[in-house]
Amino acid sequence: MTINTTKNGTELCLAPEGRLDTVTAPELEQAINENLEGVTELTLDFAGLDYISSAGLRVLLSAQKKMNAAGKMTVRNVNETISEIFEVTGFCDILTIE
Amino acid sequence: MPEKSIREMNKLERQHYSLAARTFRATILGAIILGLAALLIGLGLYAYALGGQYIGEAFNLSRTTAALMEQSVDVGPLAKEIAARYRSLPAERLAEVGESSYREVFADIAAREDYRYVREFLSAFRKTSDVYDIYLAFYDRDTCAIVYIADPEEDEAFACLPGDWESVPRREVDRFLSWNGEGRLYDVGSTEKYGWLATSGVPIRDAQGETVAFVLADVSLVNMASRMKSFLLLYALSMFVLVNLVAVLMARHMKKTLVAPINEIAEAAEAYVRDKREGRSDSDHFSKLKISTGDEVENLALIMADMENDLTEFEANLTRITAEKERVGTELALATRIQADMLPNIFPAFPERPDFDVYASMVPAKEVGGDFYDFFLIDEDHLGLVMADVSGKGVPAALFMMISKILVQNYAMTGRSPGEVLNAVNAQICSNNREEMFVTVWFGVLDLTTGTLTAANAGHEYPVLKEPDGDFELVKDKHGFVIGGMESARYREYELKLEPGARLFLYTDGVAEATDSTGALFGTDRMLEALRSAENGTPEEILGAVDRAVSRFVGEAPQFDDLTMLCVHYIGKETGKTMKTAKEMTVEATVANIPAVTDFVNEELEKLDCPLKAQTQIDIAIDELFGNIAHYAYDPATGPATVRVEVEEDPLAVAITFIDNGKPYDPLAADDPDVTLAADERKVGGLGVFLVKKTMDAVTYEYKDGKNILTIKKNI
Repeated sequence: MTINTTKNGTELCLAPEGRLDTVTAPELEQAINENLEGVTELTLDFAGLDYISSAGLRVLLSAQKKMNAAGKMTVRNVNETISEIFEVTGFCDILTIE
Repeated sequence: MPEKSIREMNKLERQHYSLAARTFRATILGAIILGLAALLIGLGLYAYALGGQYIGEAFNLSRTTAALMEQSVDVGPLAKEIAARYRSLPAERLAEVGESSYREVFADIAAREDYRYVREFLSAFRKTSDVYDIYLAFYDRDTCAIVYIADPEEDEAFACLPGDWESVPRREVDRFLSWNGEGRLYDVGSTEKYGWLATSGVPIRDAQGETVAFVLADVSLVNMASRMKSFLLLYALSMFVLVNLVAVLMARHMKKTLVAPINEIAEAAEAYVRDKREGRSDSDHFSKLKISTGDEVENLALIMADMENDLTEFEANLTRITAEKERVGTELALATRIQADMLPNIFPAFPERPDFDVYASMVPAKEVGGDFYDFFLIDEDHLGLVMADVSGKGVPAALFMMISKILVQNYAMTGRSPGEVLNAVNAQICSNNREEMFVTVWFGVLDLTTGTLTAANAGHEYPVLKEPDGDFELVKDKHGFVIGGMESARYREYELKLEPGARLFLYTDGVAEATDSTGALFGTDRMLEALRSAENGTPEEILGAVDRAVSRFVGEAPQFDDLTMLCVHYIGKETGKTMKTAKEMTVEATVANIPAVTDFVNEELEKLDCPLKAQTQIDIAIDELFGNIAHYAYDPATGPATVRVEVEEDPLAVAITFIDNGKPYDPLAADDPDVTLAADERKVGGLGVFLVKKTMDAVTYEYKDGKNILTIKKNI
């Protein structure tokens, strides 16, 4: 999986591509943890993401909890499959989705 | 008082005992008694007055006579002569009185001048009055006799010659001889010779002032008696006329003021009763009576009129109430029909469906009951089954039942799972349940393709399941709280796998709690026994067997609870079960192997032209489930895992089975995560299996022969 990382001062934008599942979730988690220092605005761009499994959800939840304390987190460009998963799991209420 | 009642009397007897006749008789009787008393008093007074008058007359006459006689003649010598001769006679000679031998002694007296004068004198006075006799005599104290001196009586039979004597009572002798001149001197007595006489007299004195004789006047009381007789006759006659007149008047008055009004009231009452018997209401028999006697009778008539009005009003009310009751009864019957029609009751219910058979029955204990069953196809593949029991009985329970039934079906038709349906129904009912009614519900959805039964139980009886090669057994499922009892109640669903040929029996407590005459309960053991007696029958036969067993057990004892049952026979789709393809691979259960497994499955899916969305969902499911095996099954070591892909047709579906030899673990047993919590409260575990359950059409798990076998199924 490739993750495009853009950091602009206190703004961090991560755009993972492909699947966010048991195998790839740790990669995203690592990418977030490495760049989160001093970030107040985290944006996750899912334009290139096919789907997300519970392992990916766990990463999102963990990131959201951190950003709740540090600033804000936005998820954008969510496709229908992922949107449905967010819906079913109640994540649509937890995340800020644009 | 008469001995029989007035109803048993003939006309004559009625007349006899009528008030008028009685008044007449009472008046006569009273008047007679009064009249007799008056008569006695009157008679006494009359006799006294008459007697007094007679005696007075006699006394006055004798006094006048005596006074005149004293002035015209001295009777002393005559009286003394006779007295001397009388006293000279011995007793035996005296006894000869009246006989000629005795009279000889005084024979010469009659020739004496003074005797003749005295006799003429007396005779003259006698003629002027109506006294019986007036005569001259003296009393002899020693012999207690009256001795006659001169008597003017002409009749020889009664005349007393000089010297004749008669014995008189001592008291008369004493009274006359010792009279001091005050008042009237008289005596009343009965004599043999003259009958009742009143004798009045005045003494005559000679020249020397000595009492020598008495002028005596007799008054016959017989005369007085005859006068009194005529008085009595007159009195009785006038009394008779008067009494009869008064009695007739009294009777007429009574008739007018009492008998006639009472008869009018009686006639009105009779007419009233006749009206009532003939069903005429609104009568005015008492109201139109015109009685103005101003007494108790008028009061009675007024009271009767009031009563009549009140009764008419009461009757009108009663008629209205009765009509109202009839209307309510009719509406209740209608409600019963509507309620019965609410439930699917035409069998066979789905004649076009060979893959299942269902039958249900409800026998309410009252006109309308609170039990209900329901079954409906949610879609071509899913059969909804409901068995419920509302608290309470009668119309309120029936209304509540209607609401519950409609809510359950409506939510079920939206495709929600049984647990969600019950949650939604509970929330809906709790939101406005002031009567605090509740309903126990068992709700299940049977997947007619796979035989998977997903169900939730809100405080209802355990369902009974018979697998094709097994026995009828209670399924001791987890009970939630009753619907309508608690707003926060949550209903958990569970799954059962029905093999083709399985039979599911649902019922309400009316079955298990049917009681016989001794109060013993039918119980679930007897119910299971009855079910087993018809275990291979159609649902209708099975219900029939239970119904008969309950009826036999109950006998004549009255039933208080509804008897509601439902049975499904799952036949399954023979063609639908044929496997087209089955492929499997076995790899080491590691995270690194997930992509390989995914690719293996995707290869099969692509052959089926699987839509991308379904494929994505299946890929996620593989990621979750195989990931779980990789993480936990052999932890901390690793082991093998087999993935099998099976494709079913009609409807097209793919089933993927994950098999490992690791630690027994049922991922479906864990509670679903609460997806409504905020981020900070969310736990990280459990989401994966939850996602799989949500996206797959069926997920089943079993541990068999040391293997965890988890199958997911997705319709394509």
